[in-house]
Amino acid sequence: MGDYVVFHDVSWHASYAVYFFVIGIIAGLSFFSFLSWHKPSLRPLREKGAYASFALLFVAGLLLIADLSQPLRFVNVLNPAYLQFDSPLAWGSLNIVTFGLASVAYLMVLRKGDEKWGKTLAAVTALLALGLPIYTGYDLTAHQSRPVWNTPVIPVLFVALAIASGSAVASLLTMGDEIARSMLRQYLLWSTGAVAVILVSILGTTNYGGSAEELTFIVLTTGTMGLIFLGLGILAGTAAPIALLLAPYGRQQTGVVLAALLVLVGSAALRYALLMGPQYVQTLY
Amino acid sequence: MAEELRTSSIETRGVAGRKRYAMVVDTRRCIGCMACQVACKAEFDTPLGVNRTWVPYKVVGTYPTVKKHFLPRLCNHCDDPPCVRNCPVEATYKVEDGGFVLMRYERCIGCRSCMAACPYNARFMLPAHRTYTNITNVVDKCTFCFHRVTQGLVPSCVQTCIGRSRVFGDINDPASEVSYLVATNATQVLRPEQGTKPQVFYIAGDRNQMEFGRDAYQRRDVMDEDRRAFERNFKA
Repeated sequence: MGDYVVFHDVSWHASYAVYFFVIGIIAGLSFFSFLSWHKPSLRPLREKGAYASFALLFVAGLLLIADLSQPLRFVNVLNPAYLQFDSPLAWGSLNIVTFGLASVAYLMVLRKGDEKWGKTLAAVTALLALGLPIYTGYDLTAHQSRPVWNTPVIPVLFVALAIASGSAVASLLTMGDEIARSMLRQYLLWSTGAVAVILVSILGTTNYGGSAEELTFIVLTTGTMGLIFLGLGILAGTAAPIALLLAPYGRQQTGVVLAALLVLVGSAALRYALLMGPQYVQTLY
Repeated sequence: MAEELRTSSIETRGVAGRKRYAMVVDTRRCIGCMACQVACKAEFDTPLGVNRTWVPYKVVGTYPTVKKHFLPRLCNHCDDPPCVRNCPVEATYKVEDGGFVLMRYERCIGCRSCMAACPYNARFMLPAHRTYTNITNVVDKCTFCFHRVTQGLVPSCVQTCIGRSRVFGDINDPASEVSYLVATNATQVLRPEQGTKPQVFYIAGDRNQMEFGRDAYQRRDVMDEDRRAFERNFKA
């Protein structure tokens, strides 16, 4: 028994989940930096958000390049003669580069204190930053044969996760600022709520799907993956922070910080489970 | 019929004046000798642990009336291949005349997007060190033996198949053997619901092997040690 058995490995490993997590924070922080021009309560996040997201862009870029089996060929995705626009990865690489360029311009304007250009570039940077979770979500969605991935809500979920993890990091960056905390608590609560609603929809459609979907549902909800997805991702990282933020304690500084930490743990766990879980069944085919 | 099924401009099955190579695997004739797997390994020096073609089996029945069902597997050279449209740098492409889905190794960045896109596990990552070639750390796959077919030969797995289980030819040519076999037998393809239009047709394939099923694909505990060895050596 077992002779001639051929094994298959998953295509994308955990480092991709770390990349998804980092770019989620980048997108969230850029969004809050832009929002700070229109909501005075978020003013402390303008520079902090812009600098932090730019610094994290280096981390994300390095993660992405290091994950390639031919890291030095990453320039191929910027070669117009090679680019294939049917692939979401091609759009993603252009999105990352333009976001990096827009970030540099935005930081320069921030240093100069030019308000008019600051507002415009903040909007451009935030839009490009929100493109990052959208393209990564679409990158999964485009794989037609993968359960969970091949659903239209994945890019929406990644945007909601980006706002949730971005507001979590922003809450940590503005500790001690009561006005900002109150505003960020709202963003944390509503974006985590949106994540919960989308997860319910994903779990429902997966459980009622075909055999590959049903098997993936079993993978996601049992064993170690179940502990990560249900335990860390949904219970500890989504349900618990919502309950915490709705309670009177959740309006206090420690409550918001605790909820922010739980959201960060949860969003990392969700990204890991949503990346790895749907690949498992395929390795047995 | 082929024309009616066509949904994408990349598809060439049934297009007049174009070749569309396909393979028919008659599972009734497969004896599980694995000669196809060995011939492929010899032809391409495929490293240990990964395969361009492989022959999984399933034991069916109750003792003493048991039987091994074999299901030779390889790249399906889909008429509408998802791996091609997912590659960001056109490292994988479809040859218009013939329908071969091939790799440009020098372009491949190793993002494994094509591996994720393939519903058939037909692609694999080459290891970092190889003895006779410097083609390493890129994705590889079955080529339908492009180099042999363009010289008028059949793929090496077809050439070596002792039971003539594998038959290869141009399915756009109504006089070819593959056209005859597909026209006169009930054939199945792997995961037709994916809309990839696979060009490997199975005669008398066992549905328990062709579809996802908890029983057919459950992890065999006896293989855990081998699985760990594979993961040790082939995890990127």
